[in-house]
Amino acid sequence: MAPTCPFSEEIAVSDKSPVKVGVLFSETGVTAPIETTQLCGTLFAIHEINAAGGIDGRELVPVRYDPRSEPSEYQALAERLILQDKVNVIFGCYMSSTRKAVLPVVEKWNRLLFYPTLYEGFEFSNNVIYTGAAPNQNSVQLADFMTSNFGSRAYLVGSDYIYPVESNRIMKDLVRQRGGTILAECYLPLTAGVDDFLPVIRDIKKRDPSFIFSTVVGESTRHLYRAYAQAGLNPREVPIASLTTCEVEVEGMGAEYAVGHFTAAPYFQSIASETNHAVLKRYREFAGADVLTNMCWEAAYFQMHMFANAMRECGTDELGALVPGLVGVDYQAPQGRVRIDPVNHHTCLYPRIGRANSKGQFTIVREALRPVHPDPYLVSYSLGDWTTRLDTLDT
Amino acid sequence: MRTSRSGNTPELLKDLRTLKAAVFHPQDNDGESLTRQLQRIGCQTQAYWPPPQELPEAVDVVFLAVNPESIRLDLPWTRAETAPTLVAVVNYENPTVVDGMLKLGASAVLAAPIRSFGVLSALVLARQVSGELRRERKRVEKLESKLRSMRQVADAKQILMKTRDISEEAAYSIMRDQAMAKRVPVEEIAVAIVNANEILSASGPKPRK
Repeated sequence: MAPTCPFSEEIAVSDKSPVKVGVLFSETGVTAPIETTQLCGTLFAIHEINAAGGIDGRELVPVRYDPRSEPSEYQALAERLILQDKVNVIFGCYMSSTRKAVLPVVEKWNRLLFYPTLYEGFEFSNNVIYTGAAPNQNSVQLADFMTSNFGSRAYLVGSDYIYPVESNRIMKDLVRQRGGTILAECYLPLTAGVDDFLPVIRDIKKRDPSFIFSTVVGESTRHLYRAYAQAGLNPREVPIASLTTCEVEVEGMGAEYAVGHFTAAPYFQSIASETNHAVLKRYREFAGADVLTNMCWEAAYFQMHMFANAMRECGTDELGALVPGLVGVDYQAPQGRVRIDPVNHHTCLYPRIGRANSKGQFTIVREALRPVHPDPYLVSYSLGDWTTRLDTLDT
Repeated sequence: MRTSRSGNTPELLKDLRTLKAAVFHPQDNDGESLTRQLQRIGCQTQAYWPPPQELPEAVDVVFLAVNPESIRLDLPWTRAETAPTLVAVVNYENPTVVDGMLKLGASAVLAAPIRSFGVLSALVLARQVSGELRRERKRVEKLESKLRSMRQVADAKQILMKTRDISEEAAYSIMRDQAMAKRVPVEEIAVAIVNANEILSASGPKPRK
């Protein structure tokens, strides 16, 4: 259904002024490594859009600040973007705590936030577009894969904030549905160092789980995987399963520490599709030969293009007129053809399971053939109901 | 390190996908926001205005706009024993609206303008409150009826003891034997004795009610 915007042509012809958009990704603080890739994906997409003539001749100009991984900074800078810089649309946020800080601001001023990150679900705002995975697009598939390949005695370890707690609740439900048991559930501060993980690893050795479910995010991720390796644990026997450990975290810890562990995500750099290869080729020309991409980079990249397409369609970036041109429209993203659901503002995505390999990339061992519809309010998950191609695990 | 347990998913949340919701609200921004948020949550949702005299079949929860227009209506289903959970949607807080909300027996309230945030909490809370209320009512009914029959057994024993000049145990064993022979509960025999006694000794002392 193509939306019609009565004044779009008029505006497109007369207005050649730049379009300012807000960009809020942390370049410092605990989640700087992953958010920096989201920033790169955002700026790369803006570069492509401008190289192709902008939005009907209007240049897209990012106004960007560094919120330093602090929720209060996100809130203050979002307000500054809206009130001082006069932007209508903001692209940003990684941790749920930072999204929750920006949410009341965009609702108050009726602006739009594009959020390119997986999260725990149970949210809808008319002022947010969610382009990362909801739990029914990564947790269900990961639980299904881990319990059927390794067993159902799970050990849960996470960072101490809202996303891990909610993610663990879902994982517990899923594991118990399989008749499995949760051996332990522990949380460490976001700033946890390698010493903080030693007692956890000792406890893991003692309890002998079939797999470890990690919701550790940011810088401390590498300490978990390193402590694991140093304790002599074997990923073939007790792998770590994660929804957040992607190519960036693997690079941060060193590929040798990640080898054999699993991650569920809609996108891995290793996807062998034509679109992904073409986008990566252009990205290398833009950013250099040794670029590293990941699921959050990809969401940040495709959401900017979807925004630009919608604005071309509607001639404005004002929420009321823009959203109808944004939702329900297909876009050929590197992961596959995606679409934003008109009812819940989340995105139809392609769940995949990757196993980290020695090159710091993920070998995709399972992938959905069709996009999985987002269902952020789902509480009763049934395992095994997604159409998947199950590759043989190479041994 | 913090070792703790994230809570289990509450059963009430798991039931939401099978819940039938009716939204009795004018078709405006609030009515549409509410209906769409209920659909996102996954309830089977239908919207009507004005509120109908008869409920659609098998509705578990009703979101009712409590405004001057709906307060005037007499809605028999709000008083029925099997009344659905009711959430009042209000955009006034004047005494008339508050009074209407109380009379309707609302278990939770949503303030308009409706935001998607807050609908889930109101819904789950209302289900919890009205479910507990219903269970408690049933329990009270059961206890009251139990109490009534205990009184009747006691009255019947008294009658037998007086008229036949026998002990309490003997009176009870007569009633129990009768109950076994007729295959009915002792309480029923007791009622028969009390009723017969009232007729036979219309001038005598009235048994306790």
